[in-house]
Amino acid sequence: MPPSIHPVHLVTVLRQKSLTPAIVFLTSRRSCDEALQAFEHATDPLSPARQESITAVLDELTATYPSLQDHPLRKMVTACGVAAHHAGHLPSWKIAIEELMRRGCLDAVFATTTLAAGVDFPARTVVLTQSGVRRDQDFTDLTIAEVAQISGRAGRRGKDSVGFAIVTPSPYMDLGVLIRGLTGRPEPVDSQFIIAYPMVLNLLKAHPLDHIQSILAKSFAQYQMNAQAAHLEHRIEKLHAKLESYQPRECSDWLTQWSAYGHATRQTAMKLQARRHHPPEVRARLPYLTPGRVVAFPRFRGIVLRRYRSRGQRHEMMTVLRKGGVVAESPVADIMGVIDRTFDFAPASAFPWATPEALSWLTQQLEDLPKHLSFLTVPPAPDEEEGEVVKSLGDLFPCPTCPCRPTCAKEFKAANTVKQEWLHHTRTVQSLRTGLWHKFQERAEILQDLGYLNPAFKLTADGEWARLIRIDFSLLITELIRAQAFKDVAPPTLAGLMACIAYENDRPGSFPRITAALASLVAATRRMADALAPYDDPPLLRADVGGLAERWVSETTVTWAQLCRSTSMAEGDIYRLLSRTLEYLSQVHSLQATHPDLATVAAEALSRIRRGVLEELP
Amino acid sequence: MTRDELEQALADLPFRLLRRLGRAIAGPPALRMGKRRLMHTIMAGAEANIERIEAAIRTHQAEQQALAAVPAPAGGASSEHKSGKPADQRALLEGIGVPEPRPFVPDDWQVEAVEALERGDVIVSVPTGSGKTYVAVEATRRAMHEDRTVVYTSPLKALSNTKYTEFCKIFGPEFVGIITGDRRDNPTAPILIMTTEILRNLLYDAAGGEIDVRLDTLGLVIIDESQFLGDPERGVVWEETIIFCPSQARLLLLSASIGNPQELAAWLTSIRPAPCHLVRHQHRSVPLRAGYLHPNGKLTPLFRTVTMPPSPSQAVLHPEAKRLFTMFEEDTLYARRSG
Repeated sequence: MPPSIHPVHLVTVLRQKSLTPAIVFLTSRRSCDEALQAFEHATDPLSPARQESITAVLDELTATYPSLQDHPLRKMVTACGVAAHHAGHLPSWKIAIEELMRRGCLDAVFATTTLAAGVDFPARTVVLTQSGVRRDQDFTDLTIAEVAQISGRAGRRGKDSVGFAIVTPSPYMDLGVLIRGLTGRPEPVDSQFIIAYPMVLNLLKAHPLDHIQSILAKSFAQYQMNAQAAHLEHRIEKLHAKLESYQPRECSDWLTQWSAYGHATRQTAMKLQARRHHPPEVRARLPYLTPGRVVAFPRFRGIVLRRYRSRGQRHEMMTVLRKGGVVAESPVADIMGVIDRTFDFAPASAFPWATPEALSWLTQQLEDLPKHLSFLTVPPAPDEEEGEVVKSLGDLFPCPTCPCRPTCAKEFKAANTVKQEWLHHTRTVQSLRTGLWHKFQERAEILQDLGYLNPAFKLTADGEWARLIRIDFSLLITELIRAQAFKDVAPPTLAGLMACIAYENDRPGSFPRITAALASLVAATRRMADALAPYDDPPLLRADVGGLAERWVSETTVTWAQLCRSTSMAEGDIYRLLSRTLEYLSQVHSLQATHPDLATVAAEALSRIRRGVLEELP
Repeated sequence: MTRDELEQALADLPFRLLRRLGRAIAGPPALRMGKRRLMHTIMAGAEANIERIEAAIRTHQAEQQALAAVPAPAGGASSEHKSGKPADQRALLEGIGVPEPRPFVPDDWQVEAVEALERGDVIVSVPTGSGKTYVAVEATRRAMHEDRTVVYTSPLKALSNTKYTEFCKIFGPEFVGIITGDRRDNPTAPILIMTTEILRNLLYDAAGGEIDVRLDTLGLVIIDESQFLGDPERGVVWEETIIFCPSQARLLLLSASIGNPQELAAWLTSIRPAPCHLVRHQHRSVPLRAGYLHPNGKLTPLFRTVTMPPSPSQAVLHPEAKRLFTMFEEDTLYARRSG
């Protein structure tokens, strides 16, 4: 990145100030490689004496690790005295760089921040160029422990009187993070205890179910949860005392009582609000407003044609025939009174709600009505709804007439907050105390359903061998074995599948083609993983990386260099993929006693993987 | 005081005084104003509040004089990092180089850790590179004398290999064995190097009845990089190893500096037969200095003092480093904006 210091310039400055040897921590492998490439055009090579000493060390190591012989970076390291050290390199190359650093032959090493823990060699100076680190697609700040780990590499005991941590800025660097990291106290270590299926099987093999709870209680997870629970219990006691401090009431559980009463009142209030749109005198008239009824408005009369209430409208409405045959809509509340006269007419199902003949007849009748007509005396509508509510609430709750009512009303809000907190904490404490055990039981029951445990929670025949598979996705692998998925499988296909399961990185790349046999096995595995998804997280299961392991095992004449050329994956990643595959295969190999055929295939695959670079390294 | 003089005097006031004045004149909205708007507001209401403003200016001047009269505190332990003259830029590189060769004398804490192992488990939490290996080697030597098996575990295969080579040099290859996922060299040796996963599996097998001979005579389990206990993916393995570790064996947990070593020690004491001894310190065997290197090649101390500040709250940047970093940020911001 242009604004930050150029790597060649950086190393020149470090040399001038005699701050070498130094480890420069960069964010990505690519930036390490780019920094190293910048030295290709550097003009000042090392003195011949120093070049010779580097060559001597490399030659010495080549005896143990033949792959160093033709390493492409060898010339560069010898000429410039700088190197890159990251997960993309082969372990043998990393070992060589570490050895060179230990002997003080190199001036600078560019390493990734991600692997600060794996960088096990000291220097006089560490250079920090970034405050963040990439973790699972995300870019997060370095933790204090990580910065401490990095700065801990500065200063070699016996070789340096002072160590240096040099910060050099780059865009998007947060200096605050680094300052906190350099001076702060590291983060506490928290338990990451999880109950995995192999753990359940192995524990139940050695102990009866009744003892398990006491074993789980010994975990750091439980220790930390107990501390948390104790803290909460202290708080619960305080809250309890606070609740006790409220004066005793008529009823034993006044909080519940009052909140139920409050709830009921709110409910009925809402119901009443929904019904009560009309004043009582209007409501009393409603039963009389039938079609054909004559009603009086302040300045005219009319005949009701229909009464309705359209959707969403709160007021009762009616369609009224007025003088001169006018048909109008008007709210019920507008009428002055109900007149003691009705006409029978032939209704219609649509506007104007009466047949044309009836309408003209009614208009005529309206004209002919005498001037003075008496209003109908409407009996007042009983106020029954409200009366009913109060009566029923009074029946259900003592509160309306209780002498404590004002105190309850005053103190309820504060007391209820306390009680809710108390309840919440009580539940948390319960789950803290018993969570692990419940999780264990859950997992054990799943294993029971799948047939690894008998009803008495003892290992079945399947459970006896399944407990030997102690890797991630153990359940998937044991289920595949039980489903006979590996019947007549060839060693390369088995290795390919194990590589697919073991590889958890989604870095894209190009790989050798996989065979049809492996493709169908991966498809079967994916179906199985989907079926097991409720019990265990499925693996990423990338089919493409399997091609590498398959090729390495099937064609024993393929050299490491040829394998590397067939893919875009970095050497170090191929190495890690194959060594993970080795680990998985050796787990399958441990099933000799129960699955001799499969174990033989695994053994064959193991022996074929272990050649070339994979053999030279432990 | 003319208007210009007043404005000049106001500009010299610290922000907190300006804000107090602004609040007195314009009320609470002044609390949200920046310096320029505050000055504008105060100047707008200057006629009516001239006495108040002048009083504030006088107080400030009196404070400044008082500060100048009192000599700077002569480097008290805590105030040293906040006040006093910033460190000389040449002081950063003073004393650089190779120290006088000295005969190796173990530090007190190293001796303490080895001795405490006689009585019970030990947790060592010290900064990286301060000599944990010495404790491991010395403890191994003692266990060897008593004819007991030693298991040494580390999180990475690469670290196991380094330790294997190291232990072979110290104790002789015939006494050291290594077991990793796919390598078994001399697996019946009295000193066994392995990854933590392998030890966990051995403990499982032992509990399952398939007794492994080595576990009967197991006298010492050294768990290196025990801060991995908090690793989201692999931490559980460390925990299992510690829980299932046979009670006759001593545990030696070596860890980098962590935040809660007492909690770990208390946990071990609660589940293990003997109480756990905690050895911890923050002292680095080789002192550390922090520097700031500007892209133009200029090197200055990062902090006001050459030594490291003891806590983030006392970390004050060196004025030169601060100036250069601010400059860098402005430059890159401009470069980013102009594309």
